[in-house]
Amino acid sequence: MAEARMSGEGGKQYKQSGLWARFRKNRMAFCGAIMIMGLVVVAIFAPLIAPFPYDQQDFMAAQEAPSAAHWFGTDEFGRDIFSRIVYASRISLEVGFIAVSIGMVVGGALGSVAGYYGGFLDNFVMRTMDILLAVPSTILAIAIAATLGPGLFNLMMAVGISTIPRYARIVRASVLSLRHLEFIEAAQAVGSSDFRIIVKHILPNCMAPVIVQATLGVASAILNTAGLSFIGLGIQPPTPEWGAMLSGARTYIRDYPYMTIFPGLAIMLTVLALNFLGDGLRDALDPKLKR
Amino acid sequence: MFKRMCLMFVVLLLAVGCAFAQGDTLTVVMAADSKSLDPHAAPDLSSTSVMTQMMESLVTIDSGGNIVPLLAESFEKLDDLRYKFVLRKGVRFHNGEELTAEDVKYTFTRAVRTGKVIDYVVRNIDIEHIEILDDYTIIVPSLTPDSSFLACLSHYCAGVVLNQKAVDAAGERVGMQPVGTGPYKFVSWQKGNRVVLERFEDYWGDKAKTPNLVFRTITEGTNRCIELETGGADIVQSLLPVDVNRVVDNPKLTLLRLPAPVVMYLGMNVSNEPLSDIRVRRAITLVVDNRPIVKIAFRGVGLPARGPVPPTIKYYDPTLPEILPDVEKAKALMAEAGYKEGLKMELWCRDEKTYIDTATIIQNQLKQIGIDLSIQVMEWGAFLEKLKQREQQLYLQAWNSVIADPDYSLFGVFHSSQKLTGLNRGVYGNPEVDKLLEEGKRVSDGPEREAVYHRLQHMIADDVAWGFLHVNELLIGMSENVRGFLFDPSGNHKYYQVYFDQAK
Amino acid sequence: MWRYVLRRLCYLLPIFIGISFFVFFMLHMTPGDPARLMLGDAATETSVQELRQEMGLNDPFLMQYGRYIKNAVRGDIGKSYITKSPVAHEVLQAFPATLRLALFAISIAILIGVPLGILSAIHQYSLLDNVAMGFALIGISMPVFWLGLLLILLFCVWLGWFPASGFDTFRQMVLPAVTLSTPSLAIISRISRSSMLEVVRQDYICMARAKGQVEWRVIWNHALGNALIPIVTIVGLQFGGLLEGAVVTEAVFAVPGIGSLLVEAIKTRDYPMVLGGVLFIGVVFSLVNLVVDILYAYIDPRIKARYQNG
Repeated sequence: MAEARMSGEGGKQYKQSGLWARFRKNRMAFCGAIMIMGLVVVAIFAPLIAPFPYDQQDFMAAQEAPSAAHWFGTDEFGRDIFSRIVYASRISLEVGFIAVSIGMVVGGALGSVAGYYGGFLDNFVMRTMDILLAVPSTILAIAIAATLGPGLFNLMMAVGISTIPRYARIVRASVLSLRHLEFIEAAQAVGSSDFRIIVKHILPNCMAPVIVQATLGVASAILNTAGLSFIGLGIQPPTPEWGAMLSGARTYIRDYPYMTIFPGLAIMLTVLALNFLGDGLRDALDPKLKR
Repeated sequence: MFKRMCLMFVVLLLAVGCAFAQGDTLTVVMAADSKSLDPHAAPDLSSTSVMTQMMESLVTIDSGGNIVPLLAESFEKLDDLRYKFVLRKGVRFHNGEELTAEDVKYTFTRAVRTGKVIDYVVRNIDIEHIEILDDYTIIVPSLTPDSSFLACLSHYCAGVVLNQKAVDAAGERVGMQPVGTGPYKFVSWQKGNRVVLERFEDYWGDKAKTPNLVFRTITEGTNRCIELETGGADIVQSLLPVDVNRVVDNPKLTLLRLPAPVVMYLGMNVSNEPLSDIRVRRAITLVVDNRPIVKIAFRGVGLPARGPVPPTIKYYDPTLPEILPDVEKAKALMAEAGYKEGLKMELWCRDEKTYIDTATIIQNQLKQIGIDLSIQVMEWGAFLEKLKQREQQLYLQAWNSVIADPDYSLFGVFHSSQKLTGLNRGVYGNPEVDKLLEEGKRVSDGPEREAVYHRLQHMIADDVAWGFLHVNELLIGMSENVRGFLFDPSGNHKYYQVYFDQAK
Repeated sequence: MWRYVLRRLCYLLPIFIGISFFVFFMLHMTPGDPARLMLGDAATETSVQELRQEMGLNDPFLMQYGRYIKNAVRGDIGKSYITKSPVAHEVLQAFPATLRLALFAISIAILIGVPLGILSAIHQYSLLDNVAMGFALIGISMPVFWLGLLLILLFCVWLGWFPASGFDTFRQMVLPAVTLSTPSLAIISRISRSSMLEVVRQDYICMARAKGQVEWRVIWNHALGNALIPIVTIVGLQFGGLLEGAVVTEAVFAVPGIGSLLVEAIKTRDYPMVLGGVLFIGVVFSLVNLVVDILYAYIDPRIKARYQNG
């Protein structure tokens, strides 16, 4: 987020080659994109990929170490950890994308309205955002999740709401920089409605920083979700979720460390891929920082 | 091997590092920090197990479950309502004051007036009619006849005696400046970390054997065991079940496994369809096998429960039958009740791992008779609040008989007067059970009372009011050289007589 | 300059009122009756109702909030429902542990992250650069609590080098601090690197080189000063981030800090404590940001000039 802030005024000292070409040249970003696509495929086809149902208990096979039958071993109920991790990718992606959408849509709307109209509205919206920003977002998410109670939907709301101010700020800044450009004035002159101007002319032109923020935002949403699950504000069993799996496994860390290691690796790789992608996108969209 | 040698080397180093403390300081590790050290404000185990070292009650319960004198030299039941206590002479509080009947009256009055959290223990004390005969003799009456009254007065925090001067002097900070008559007195308390106590030299009885007593809080279960193994703790009050074998296999450590008066049960709300049908309830108990629950959710710690009264409470009936799973019979019962094609149900539980694990197992077991169970995990406060609405179907709960009397184990949870607002969350009611419960309160201890409670346990089991799941066990780990540990079933172990065997 | 600081301090007031209103409102919406939680499972409904009355929980929301603000102005932010002691006292007692943890962690992050980033920039595309930046990416991507668990597994369980709990001695502080510092370390080294890279491309650096100055001197005298500006910003932002990371880290290592206090308070619905904790973190967070802004102005002459005019 902070890095995005630094790159605010995009200098145009590099020749504008194609965005796609620049993106493809960045091996890490490409790699990240492929990993994310792979993960999406895994999430969609989870029932075909997972060798066992995620909630199938087998007390005779409880806590078996990784083997040919159970690649990542089994948990305390004899459930196959690999299958659970595969199914859990659905939850994590869902939470990540929906939470970010909530933040992006609400924050974007607030930010563009504030930036476009200015004056009292701007002041009111942005001071409210300042208030939310004064509380660190994880703590805000914890407070919201505690209020709403555990559950998948509430988790997404909590993580989503806590990111609203960031998007509001980014969008507002972009809108401010665009508002007095000639093409906006032209649109106003021909009598377009404010709504049309914002949606048709302003927003498409300030998408770049939002997209970068959103990609990195999915990553931090997944981390936040796992963190909330870890301190017990997670989702209902037997639905598998990486953070909840980790939290449940910590009791067994000494005897069955693999129970802790695999869900953690899943989180890490997903977040890593999103970070690759986000970095790559930023470099592609904002050539100034390209090395 | 190399790893183990490394570990031993480090353990040795640590042992040397802690050597200055050995012998003089006993370090006890708890799972949670004390909430308050005002006995009328915090009846939870993490608070009371510290207060127990500093405060004493008039009477106490010995290891055989009998009521015996403590601060009272003797006691006597005068009639159905009145109990006379003769106090020990020369007992001093930590602030130097001598214990008198005034203190007793002050404490009970304060407990009833301000101690909302311990209301369920002290509510039957008739504070208007406490009579002080002389400095050392006092009559404490109860409002209604109650055979468990003395057990209430022995309660590890509602029954302790305080000194008015000390309470007044502490003012708002009374919860952080405890004063009692016990063998240890308070030194300091760093929240979330440690409470430090030291020997009270003017104690009336046998003085504490170890001069300093430190309670440390370590919330993470795995870390409690690591701390014990590495010598950072001498006694760990609540080990995790996963660590049982580790402690047993370690020659430097000992493990104590002691039954606790806590029964975990599957609550069933009988006021609504389909659980109002006893056949459905019976079918559920016939497939909910509690042995895998003990084995998986509790890692083999504790026992499968057979009835509503914990085995450590008096008049527990050991002849209650064990319920063995019988899927065919359960299916037949479901069909008979008209649910052949199965049904959907909800199970509510709190957000603790053992509860969630148990719920997950039950969910799986109920599939066998076509019950599609959805689990609702709730945070503790929300859970209690929702139970109050009486909209639950199945719910997981545990009942801790903190007052060591079967009346406490049964009355609140099964008497029909408690249906609407009380603890009877299954909305269970049986006029005959009601009558026996009332009788149990009235009758004095003896074979007659025993018969009443034995019958009650069978009747409640026959009505399938609960699914009995698990009786808990306390797991206490200690260094091998710790001697003189006094076990208390309520978990409030006394550390006065603990010392280190220096020969080791 | 002082006028600017004063103005910024005044801005804090509405923010605090806003935070307190927001948190108060949310806690009000939360299911679970604090009176029932205080009294526990076994209490009768009548005593719960009595206590609700006593605590003013039956009053309308705005009245409760008004009462809270009125007392807060007098410096009393309430008493804990659970421990009955003043919230301000409990929060202040817990804060030193969190502060020590955060300071220790940020020191690790700066002392390793800044030199690492600068070295990577100077030796761009070298093995060191690739390895360091690879680790940095992993560091950002790792859940803090998982890292904590892995460190416990490795250093406490297998190697036995450090204790897994407690927060009194230096040895006890090492693992939590390392855990907490990792994401910040990663971010700081990345920013240091990119900021340095940007600076060394500037004309005046070429100029310095063209004059024939030794390379380390070019870096030290000319480049570092300007590269430092974004680094300071990020360090400030990270310090705020550490306060939130501390919540989870404290939970893993049982550090008796403000994070543990907050999590426990949320679990027990200890409204005044949650409010106090969040408010306190908000205050510290805002103050840290203020200090960073001032520091920023101090380092960057352009901004300093702007404040002096305004």
